[in-house]
Amino acid sequence: MRIQKAMLVFSKDWREIRRNWQVILPIVVVPLMMSVILPMVLTIIPSIAATQEGSLRRPENLINSLPVRVQEHLAWMNEQQVMIAIMAIYFFAPFFLIIPLMASSVISSDSFAGEKERKTIEALLATPISDGELFLGKMLVSFIPSMIITMISFGVYTAVFDIMAYGIFNGMLLLPTIDWILLIFGLAPTVALASIGLTVMISAKVKGFREAQQISVILLIPVLALIFGQVTGAIILGPIVILALAGLFLVIDLVVFRVGVKLFRREEILSKLS
Amino acid sequence: MSTIATEDLTKSFNSLIAVDHLTFKVNEGEVFGLLGPNGAGKTTTIRLLACLISPSEGAAQVGRYNISQHPLKIRETVGILTENPSLYERLTAQENMDFFAEAYGLTNEQEKKDRIRELLGFFDLWERRNDKVATFSKGMKQKLAIARALVHNPPILFLDEPTAGLDPESAKEVRDLMKRLSRHEKHTILLCTHHLEDAERLCHRVMIINRGKNIISGTPDELRNRIGGQPKVHINLRKLDSKMVEVTKRQSHVKQVNADKAESTLTITLDDVNSGTPEVVKSIVDAGGLILSVNVLRPSLEEAYLKLIKEIQK
Repeated sequence: MRIQKAMLVFSKDWREIRRNWQVILPIVVVPLMMSVILPMVLTIIPSIAATQEGSLRRPENLINSLPVRVQEHLAWMNEQQVMIAIMAIYFFAPFFLIIPLMASSVISSDSFAGEKERKTIEALLATPISDGELFLGKMLVSFIPSMIITMISFGVYTAVFDIMAYGIFNGMLLLPTIDWILLIFGLAPTVALASIGLTVMISAKVKGFREAQQISVILLIPVLALIFGQVTGAIILGPIVILALAGLFLVIDLVVFRVGVKLFRREEILSKLS
Repeated sequence: MSTIATEDLTKSFNSLIAVDHLTFKVNEGEVFGLLGPNGAGKTTTIRLLACLISPSEGAAQVGRYNISQHPLKIRETVGILTENPSLYERLTAQENMDFFAEAYGLTNEQEKKDRIRELLGFFDLWERRNDKVATFSKGMKQKLAIARALVHNPPILFLDEPTAGLDPESAKEVRDLMKRLSRHEKHTILLCTHHLEDAERLCHRVMIINRGKNIISGTPDELRNRIGGQPKVHINLRKLDSKMVEVTKRQSHVKQVNADKAESTLTITLDDVNSGTPEVVKSIVDAGGLILSVNVLRPSLEEAYLKLIKEIQK
């Protein structure tokens, strides 16, 4: 495997993508808007509710379902602070697993299917770039931009939240926490890689971009389950759980890559040319 | 030694046999034409030899390598012009060339720059090198696709309809380039074309295929003679009389004489045009004939091809 050949495919694709505003805009704008609007909403609503006496109560049942570590963290906070902390720090953390998936799905669905639609695939397949190098290059062009967007979104979310919550928490900065750092730098990349690998595989098998994107939506289900688990208190993404999941997804990434390369058939791709 | 050699090369897609036990050889520096109607299996043959698809049966060797064992080595060795130009329209001509040059292993920056400049210059695209391919005309895209196929100076070229979409001047330039590549630089070229004029002008040998099968192969001259019949001599006289027809018929090489007294012409079938024509001309002159013109009528490859295809379809 020659990494420079994979990087060559990456840089060619990235050049094409960054000139296509129809692809770039939703990838950049939606996560950034979420990162600005979400912390604002999450801090403003409990603050408004706190001004009306009796409308904000400490959610004891919910707090009791959380791990002891989290309960201790929330123990010294008032009702308004608890609501903000639970929503913005605990419940919305897994949302940052969706951002790389959302950002990468357009590019990875387009990876091979788009080349088939635009009839550029044959010359690419005729080059002496191996299956593994092609597959890796196509994965990287989805992975690198989506992780950059995720990290920028994380930075923006943290900054907006800390600014908005600065007065409410008496000058204390709540983000980033160790959970968030592990989630963004450990779990998000490994989850994104697995999803990208599977979407690139789908993209190589189907005829067009739309078909690939529709099928790849299914890949959001496990992440949505994780978010639902966190919201209901069934799973709390603490450092150990995050590291264990990151390790598990790393293994899944390697398996997906190997299977993807093994199932990569130039002939099958050409047979799907419209 | 053969640069390309196939042995019973076969490709089936489910029940459809696209290439059916094709056996042929192409020598170094030779331009070999693959002719046939749409769906004959020409593109599939090129895809097999370029290792884009694998054979169902049979074997082939391209350069020093076997297509089933060394696909990556073969892809390094060959340059391919695909049916569609297959260019990245959001990239500029220069960026397209840069990508493919590096993909084909041209890593020396200066060497790559010089080669791209030479090719884009040759195809009159140098001034437009920084324009996106989307803004190019069909002919310009075709020229860029040919330049891309040549970027790594491959010893073997697979060209699928190279002059399609080109204006007559550009088409001539491409034909001249192919001639130069095969004659002077010993490149081996496998040419798929519907332009029989191109095949006639360029190819040392051609093979007509239909439904994946080799129907006939040989030099364009051989094919013209075998399919279209032998060349005929057409003689135009000031005045034609029966004495001239009689003396012509008596000549040893003459097989058949068609006389048109109204037009004062003789159309003569000879078993050997080269040695028979002077004898016929001399006998007519001796018989008092005043010859205005003598033409050898050869069936074109196109006429021969169309005749063959009609026969097959019948």
